[in-house]
Amino acid sequence: MVDPKKLQDKAKEILVRDDVRRLIGWKRGTYGYEAAPAVIKDASDAEVLIFDPTCVQNPASFITLEEKLPVPRGAEPDTRKVAVMVKGCDSRAIVQQLVEKAYDREDVIVLGIPCRGVIDHRKAEAMFGDVAAPVEVSLNSDKVTLTVNGEKKEAKREELLMDKCLRCRYPNPLVSDFLLDGEVEKFADDDFGDVAEFEKQPPADKWAYWEEQFSKCIRCYSCRNVCPMCYCVECIVTKLRPQWTRRSTDISENTAYHIQRAWHLAGRCIECMECQRVCPVDIPIMTLNRKLTRDVKELFDYEPGVDTEAQPLLASYNPQDPEEYIM
Amino acid sequence: MSEEFEPNIVAFLCNWCSYAGADLAGTSRMHYLPNIRTIRVMCSGRVNPLFLVNALQQGADGVLISGCHPGDCHYLEGNYYARRRFMLMHKLLEHVGVDPGRVNMSWVSASEGAKFKDVVEETVTKAKEAGPMDQFRRRQINW
Repeated sequence: MVDPKKLQDKAKEILVRDDVRRLIGWKRGTYGYEAAPAVIKDASDAEVLIFDPTCVQNPASFITLEEKLPVPRGAEPDTRKVAVMVKGCDSRAIVQQLVEKAYDREDVIVLGIPCRGVIDHRKAEAMFGDVAAPVEVSLNSDKVTLTVNGEKKEAKREELLMDKCLRCRYPNPLVSDFLLDGEVEKFADDDFGDVAEFEKQPPADKWAYWEEQFSKCIRCYSCRNVCPMCYCVECIVTKLRPQWTRRSTDISENTAYHIQRAWHLAGRCIECMECQRVCPVDIPIMTLNRKLTRDVKELFDYEPGVDTEAQPLLASYNPQDPEEYIM
Repeated sequence: MSEEFEPNIVAFLCNWCSYAGADLAGTSRMHYLPNIRTIRVMCSGRVNPLFLVNALQQGADGVLISGCHPGDCHYLEGNYYARRRFMLMHKLLEHVGVDPGRVNMSWVSASEGAKFKDVVEETVTKAKEAGPMDQFRRRQINW
């Protein structure tokens, strides 16, 4: 566990620097099983910062969200850095954004936190119900201890953690300027068994499943907004000229939207699972992303968000690429 | 009245090889199936994989993308990019439950009129097997 004192001191030390504009981290949420993201500009506010297994949000999503207003005549553009706290999975988002040259490495200060896993609010709500006050959670090697409404509760690690944490290959940040805790060991390997299991079905069954899932979609675009890799200034789904998807929420447009979303993350998705977490109608969005992640790995031996020197997958090619289905 | 299902195929042919290949098939008086509707593009690398989703939405029962053989691209590397993209799009559509026979890609050079004929035949056969595309076709609303 990260000592909150150490974390806050480090944050203060960074925020008093002249070349730092703001720091993105987590603070205690107002209710429930999730922390809240915190954007801090002044060192005196750094006391709210925490890190515990409720910190599920990916702060790397916020770096690219900043609106770039035109600089007034005569004024200098603000080139100060943004500091960001990241878990292992979040750091992959930063690596991938660096690969895509969304910003330069000098523009960010990365505070890495080796992470033992974060809890899934859906699983927690199913087990302990809704809570009106923030929940305190601590985690040791195989047990999660929660304080829900003043009562101490325990659960096994597998029962409460996010699925991504149970197959986490990168618990330690892959890019960081400061590491706030000792490195932890890798927990598991990912064999993509769930993807292989889904693929065994005939096309008609697959479509029956997706038809049900996609018809639930209300097109709130939360999955897009929360995604650290979706940082286009104008998104293709809200573009009107040319209009790629119509805005009606019928099965045709919803399917097209979800294919587009998954497609635009092909070879870019870093599996932070934020899209699925925020989905208000519980669409298993990651099933599509994981399918592509696995295929990208199998076909092109490529893993996004691991190497800052890598080329983006679809902006590069290998003359020996597989072409088994091409006539 | 027993009408056999005739699929609509949208074919994206590259200007330099496949379109010329299709032209050669025509000038050589080869008979190829009339199910395909050709869209000429400058390079197979120009075809956005979302064109394919859009075609399936708008009434196509199958799609064919055809370009120069690897190494022969007029723009040197366009078809290499296309190959990666369509490989992944093919896999993604398969995962969503679209019959894999609806998405076809081929390399046809300007001198392969006979091959173009075979490719079209195979594409149409596969689309016929898959049946009418009714999974996520846009419904026409008559106001």
